[in-house]
Amino acid sequence: MRPVVIAGVGMIPFERRDEDSLVDMLAMAGLKAMDDANLGDRPVDAVYVGNMASGLFNHQVSVASALVDRLSLMPAAADRIENGPASGGSAVKNGFLAVASGYCDIVLVVGGEKMREVIGPKATDIVACMTHPNAEYIYGVTLPALAGMFTRLYMEKYGVTREHLTLVAIKNQENGLLNPYAHIQMKITMEGVLTHPQAHVNSPVVADPIHLYDCCPVSDGAAAVLLTTEDIANELKRPIVTIAGVGQATDTHTLQERSDPTDLKAVTIASQKAFSMSGIKPKDIDVAELHDAFTILEIAESEHAGFFPKGQGANALAAGETQIGGKLPINPSGGLKARGHPVGATGVAQIVELVWQLRGEAGKRQVKGAVNGFSLNFGGFGNNVIAFVLRSKS
Amino acid sequence: MNTITAYKCKKCGLVMYPHHFRCLKCNGREFEEIKPSANGKLLTYTIIEQLPWGIDERERVLGVVEFDNGVKALGVIKAKDPKLGMKLKAGWEPVRVIGGEKVYGLSFQPTK
Repeated sequence: MRPVVIAGVGMIPFERRDEDSLVDMLAMAGLKAMDDANLGDRPVDAVYVGNMASGLFNHQVSVASALVDRLSLMPAAADRIENGPASGGSAVKNGFLAVASGYCDIVLVVGGEKMREVIGPKATDIVACMTHPNAEYIYGVTLPALAGMFTRLYMEKYGVTREHLTLVAIKNQENGLLNPYAHIQMKITMEGVLTHPQAHVNSPVVADPIHLYDCCPVSDGAAAVLLTTEDIANELKRPIVTIAGVGQATDTHTLQERSDPTDLKAVTIASQKAFSMSGIKPKDIDVAELHDAFTILEIAESEHAGFFPKGQGANALAAGETQIGGKLPINPSGGLKARGHPVGATGVAQIVELVWQLRGEAGKRQVKGAVNGFSLNFGGFGNNVIAFVLRSKS
Repeated sequence: MNTITAYKCKKCGLVMYPHHFRCLKCNGREFEEIKPSANGKLLTYTIIEQLPWGIDERERVLGVVEFDNGVKALGVIKAKDPKLGMKLKAGWEPVRVIGGEKVYGLSFQPTK
């Protein structure tokens, strides 16, 4: 396989975007990545679109074909990649494989989702369509409910507290204030979320023990990366950030069939694969973007990916190790918690953030001297996980 | 009483629910259809206060129950004060209306 370089990145602010259609958003993010790569009029060989549910949210399918038309990229190959909340990561992986194999030289990967076209409970129902139809969905299970059952077990087993969970939310929302692309621009405090007499109003129960401020918001948005070879990236005069490792792994559809439901095997295996392919070890990672759709996931993933021993993630968080300026800054972008989680966009947005960090272009949230980055895109409830290791060559 | 159907691998004995075409442990393809036993214990639960579109309730408790014969399944928990490890007795009732039709599923009451 030949090295694959991320020559261009771009995204649009994640928020509620009533004026833009899904394909508008994909096109805006795609153009930004093409321009960032100095692509000019060079042809793109293939376009991969990461999107979970345009048919259900927006009553539109074949959105990759619609996108090449809007961007005048014909006759580029175009595919929509659907892999639940890991659709973005899957799209990047497919783009990576296309360039690494030599089948394509220039690939545009765009992830996006327009979720706010429907009301909240409807969005919850659409997202719940990824659960098992007979064993889970009919009972009214939601993704927060799966996270609630997981959180309860994790708290029991490892002594994680609501204070720990809230620390994730506080940190990521503080980081979000430094990220103009983040949906949530609001500082929160431990008092307001946990101890104030109005705390139950500020952060009501969603799926006990999960409260509102343990959940990512429902957002619209899109993010894009342009992948190419090292030679072409040099011709385009772009900084060299390579995809050094990619790993993907799956687990059982339902949580209850895992012998230990607190063990996120797919996270462990996907991360190990990505690290092993890259030759980079967890201790060499300077910045990580984890999939904190729920606060517990940032803690659990930081352990399963190999950054901290099992049961130690919450302590590392409490000690400030995962803040910007700490030993391993996690989610300097604000993560899903603050940046937002337009489902298909997330896996791509994580990589956009890492590229900005590794190029030294992350502004006020810059992790100083970052060379190696790690991202983890968590699909289903841990049943399909994709990890990336990125490396800056400068 | 109506209930779910679980699957016991004829080769290695692993009990599975829901259905798989190959055994999760040994890849065996032949299964004995079994019913969960009457009682089980609560492995984990959540109290959902923001239910999805299509469920017209303010609050619903869902939990994973391990039946005495090893079947594990999600169901509606009808206990006022759910506790991990509590003993529950299984029932079968409408859990959701989809396309105008009642869909039946597992519900659980505390055993006396």
